[in-house]
Amino acid sequence: EKWAATHAKHPPTRLALHHFDATYSVQLGKLWPSVRVAMLSERKYGALLNNFCHDAVLVDLQAKGCRDFITNREEDGQCVFPVFTVNHYLSCHPNIKCLVFPRGDVTRFKPARPDAYGLLSYYLMDAASVLPCLALDVQEGHNVLDLCAAPGGKTLSLLQSQTISKWFLCVNDTSVSRTMRLRKVLHSYVPKQFLTDEKLRITSFDVQVLVDVPCTTDRHSLMEDDNNIFNKIRVGERRRLPQLQLELLLAGIEAACPGGEILYSTCTLSQNQNQGVVEQAICLARENHGIQLEAVSLRPLTQMFRNTFHFAPDLHLGEMVIPHLAANFGPIYMCKLKRLT
Amino acid sequence: HQSTLRPNHEVSPVTTKPVPELSLSSLIDMGFTDTQAEQIFESVSSVRGGSAAKHILSTLTVLFVLGLNPSSVQKLLEKCPELYTVKEAQLQQRISNLRKLGLVEGSLQRMVAHYPKILTVPVKTVKNVVTFLKERCLFTSQQASDILRDSPAVVLENLDQLEYKFQYVYFRMGVKQTEMVKFRLFRFPLDEVRCRHIFLERRGFYQTPDKKGQTTIVNPKLDSILNTDLDTFLTHVAQATAEEYDVFQKLLAREWKEEELQQGKIEAD
Ligand SMILES: C[S@@+](CC[C@H](N)C(=O)[O-])C[C@H]1O[C@@H](n2cnc3c(N)ncnc32)[C@H](O)[C@@H]1O
Repeated sequence: EKWAATHAKHPPTRLALHHFDATYSVQLGKLWPSVRVAMLSERKYGALLNNFCHDAVLVDLQAKGCRDFITNREEDGQCVFPVFTVNHYLSCHPNIKCLVFPRGDVTRFKPARPDAYGLLSYYLMDAASVLPCLALDVQEGHNVLDLCAAPGGKTLSLLQSQTISKWFLCVNDTSVSRTMRLRKVLHSYVPKQFLTDEKLRITSFDVQVLVDVPCTTDRHSLMEDDNNIFNKIRVGERRRLPQLQLELLLAGIEAACPGGEILYSTCTLSQNQNQGVVEQAICLARENHGIQLEAVSLRPLTQMFRNTFHFAPDLHLGEMVIPHLAANFGPIYMCKLKRLT
Repeated sequence: HQSTLRPNHEVSPVTTKPVPELSLSSLIDMGFTDTQAEQIFESVSSVRGGSAAKHILSTLTVLFVLGLNPSSVQKLLEKCPELYTVKEAQLQQRISNLRKLGLVEGSLQRMVAHYPKILTVPVKTVKNVVTFLKERCLFTSQQASDILRDSPAVVLENLDQLEYKFQYVYFRMGVKQTEMVKFRLFRFPLDEVRCRHIFLERRGFYQTPDKKGQTTIVNPKLDSILNTDLDTFLTHVAQATAEEYDVFQKLLAREWKEEELQQGKIEAD
């Protein structure tokens, strides 16, 4: 009686779990139990340092045992890729710092506090969400389009590189409430002079495009019944996700100019929403728009950060951070495409 | 009454007053070795209030009459010096109550030797726990006495906790009384049971049976969850690494703490 009473009939979180059990046990095989228990347990955060903040919190956080996973990466000696590729990725983002507690450590971060100017010292996010930003490889003079930007964790990461004065960032999102959140985030972290129309605007010749699409947000779907896409009344919306993702990615591909690069990312493990969408996009871009695309390997990036994240082995397209209790980040899928024509 | 079980005359002449002197030689006469006698003598003297010396001889006699040998008597007294202060009549009552509850000779002696504390527990408390097991958890009399035999410490557990443990295993894990008894559930702390169970559940290896008692996977037996060392449990049942379980324990402890706080808040509202 005591136990039966607490079971609601079909809460969306339960539906999500059934769905994942059916699909991911096939897709991930033996890895699934470990991923499952990790997703059903408390996730880990990373603290993205805000370089615009005047308080020096880095030392404090380091004293508590955190480390910046971007600079403290796998020893180059162990890295199977030539040093220049590694440096290439990081030279573009000399200032992005994301602190995490070591493997197996479950300490939590305190909420960030504002400095004298009202800017917050760090932004808490899934540390794996920084990877798509690093993978995007923004360089001087680039225009960047952030196609699905709200609430703005990735926008904020991109802004930290401080090559900001040399490139344009264009952010976009269809959801009004989420765009408000994005605005709020940017104003809590970035000084006003960087938020002028000149720096942040819509342009039509973007070079680098980040397409961080809406997805089944696996972790959220397993843990929160509110606003859950597995709710029965949202079946249609959920079924249409891959189509929406495909359209967004194609829009991103069209917005990039030849030579430009597109980074597609999600926070789901679903093959249909990940590799499936990318494959179709490559195909449709060629057939309908005559655009040739090439997948860019992200292996050097996963090699660099394999001591912080667990990556899914052997994906034929893109890379994926899979949750693990000792490094409970992700899921984050990312795939980079280069526009050849 | 029960005069037959009183200390016998050769060993310690019973006179109501004055209290017979406890001496090393009287202990040796009873069959203890020199060292055992010294140890007993010392621990009796260290029990405060002097009541120990008053009851010691009757306590020893009761234990001998029960059929325990000097060496096990010495060991159990060392484990449980409180026994020195229990009155003879009470000891008699407690022992005969255990017999009435179905503990047969052999089991009874093993239980007392292994868990002497049982003789410090009032008859009423033991009866309450047995009644509780039968009425609230629907164990048969035989099962209740098996539980008592295998996990005598249940008599000192808080009944609310005991009920929670039973309900957890019965409803949440879908395990029936027979298995609880067979695999000695009541020997294990609730948190350990819950932690292993939830670990399995979140890995997808354990399901709460539905109303018809059905699951879509085959749940591991209670035996393989409880009666295995951690290594075996991890490799064969949970198919996980020690690192994962280690982190999981930390996270789960924090979840429980926060649930309790939450519960406290709701009750305070
Ligand atoms: C995964 S979230 C983006 C998270 C964000 N990049 C970050 O790092 O904080 C996906 C976003 O896509 C937005 N979205 C949904 N449909 C869209 C559309 N058709 N065009 C642009 N954005 C859309 C949603 O409102 C949502 O904010």
